Amino acid sequence: MSSLALKDRPGRLRKDPSGGRSPRRWPGWLTGWAFVFPAVALFAVMGVYTIGSGLALSFAKWNGFTPTWNWAGVQNYLDLLYADPVLAPELRRAGWNTLQVMVAVPLLTVVIALPLAVALNSVRRLRGVLRSVYFLPYVTTGVAIYFAWRYVLEPDGAINTLLRSLGLGTLSQPQGFLGNPSTALPTLILVLVWSSVPVATLLYLSGLQAIDPNLFEAAQIDGAAPRHVLRRVIWPLLRPITAAIVLLGVRDTLHGFQIFLVMTNGGPGGHTDVLALMAYRLSFFKGLAQTLGLASALGWLLFAGAVLLTLVNARMLRRVH
Amino acid sequence: MTGRRVVRAVVFVALFVYALISLYPFLWMISGAFKSRSEILEGGFLPRAFTLDTLTQTWGRLHFFDYFLNSLKVTGLTVLGVLVVYSLASYAFAVLDFPGRRILFWFFVALLFVPGITMLLPVVILEKQLGVLGTHIGLVLPFVNGTAPLTVLLLTNAYGSIPRELREAARSDGASEGRIFWSVYLPLARPAHVTVAVLTAVPTWNEYVLTRVSISDPSRYTLPLGLESLISSEVPRYNEVMAASLIIVIPVIVLFLFLQRYFVNGLVGAIKG
Repeated sequence: MSSLALKDRPGRLRKDPSGGRSPRRWPGWLTGWAFVFPAVALFAVMGVYTIGSGLALSFAKWNGFTPTWNWAGVQNYLDLLYADPVLAPELRRAGWNTLQVMVAVPLLTVVIALPLAVALNSVRRLRGVLRSVYFLPYVTTGVAIYFAWRYVLEPDGAINTLLRSLGLGTLSQPQGFLGNPSTALPTLILVLVWSSVPVATLLYLSGLQAIDPNLFEAAQIDGAAPRHVLRRVIWPLLRPITAAIVLLGVRDTLHGFQIFLVMTNGGPGGHTDVLALMAYRLSFFKGLAQTLGLASALGWLLFAGAVLLTLVNARMLRRVH
Repeated sequence: MTGRRVVRAVVFVALFVYALISLYPFLWMISGAFKSRSEILEGGFLPRAFTLDTLTQTWGRLHFFDYFLNSLKVTGLTVLGVLVVYSLASYAFAVLDFPGRRILFWFFVALLFVPGITMLLPVVILEKQLGVLGTHIGLVLPFVNGTAPLTVLLLTNAYGSIPRELREAARSDGASEGRIFWSVYLPLARPAHVTVAVLTAVPTWNEYVLTRVSISDPSRYTLPLGLESLISSEVPRYNEVMAASLIIVIPVIVLFLFLQRYFVNGLVGAIKG
């Protein structure tokens, strides 16, 4: 969520937060540690230990049942990247799908959310109500709403019916939008955009409200057309927000796979498989095959990808400033 | 001035169209939940024979009340855990001085970059060893830990923006650190706590992945798993599925309508830092 906030965080952590020193019954550092202890204890068990064991596991072969791991060095990583004739192509396909989602979702989100926020900002009546309505998809993101989408996307579902009744029957999908290999991924992308537009719109709206209204007036007096105001005034001023939205979108794509799991489970025929979903399958649905090390390795590849993309994004963000 | 009026009309139409798109799956969810099993297969939006049976039967026959209680328990414990553990830690990060403070803070924030899927398998393996796999506590612990980055950022920020003079004044009145935390910081940062509670409760209520791989006993199912068990039968009865979806979604929507500004402020605050 808040990757952006990392940037200027150090300023908040003051060098000597307790101000002057005063006599205390027990040393100050003990108080500090007492306060963070529960968080650190939980993190030590649920975080450090699991990260450590997960990393170790990525260098081993294990099926989850035998008492010992078989060490395999970097073989898992090599298998995933190119060595294994089954896994490597699977990874490449899932990677390609992930990449498409990662590019398309943030792009479409910005393209929809920015005009929407500008329009919303320009009306006074109903603004509050509309904002709430626009925000609903974010609040309810989860299994329930994905099932509702599945329902309307069924072969005899609402969307096909709607298209036919509008005379756009040629666009309807007799197999259902999720059943046709060529429409499944684009459909999921649109659903993802639908659920990421709310936060983006909200952020743009708060950004727009922070812009000095005199700027718009000045532009209007100079006779600038609305689309020029949008391009020359609003767009540059909102760039940091756009960068944040893109960053969030990229992160969510790498991390999240719930929608893919619930709506298509990678199908039809792997056309909507993504990397995180592949790791999930390797983790829990391979029976006695020794795939847990592979799953861990894939998880760490994803982590590396996430860090890399964040750094690239942060650099681009700095250049924009 | 007609040109401007046209623009305004276009803007309003566009806004309403997107409002419809926003609501689209909800509208069908509601429509489906009030249809009978025979009617769900036909297209129409408005149920011809409006029935409450689907909703009441789904609630009753399919144990949705139990799932609801389970969801409530898991979400409640997670929110409570998050508030207790990270308000203490964030207080230390924001106002106390101790060795390792800065490193620890960054450690927690850096967790943001670890994908959930990377942690999922090791968490399951660990919980199997600890014997908590498949219990509700086994869900709550990783859920609490998972909210660490965002919560620590939000709360450290909130406590840090409370004027230091208040703390100094309380100290010179002889208040202990615990007392200052309890009587000064907690009440003053109440909006931030509500934000954290809300931003924790919603994803926890909807959580599906860890819950699915760890809970196998149907009596411990949360609502999303209950919903899934409806659809795993060969031909999903979409009227029941939509009724169940509605049961899951309504509490979240109610929470949202009452605490809207905390959602909004929290998200904007978290991202702008």
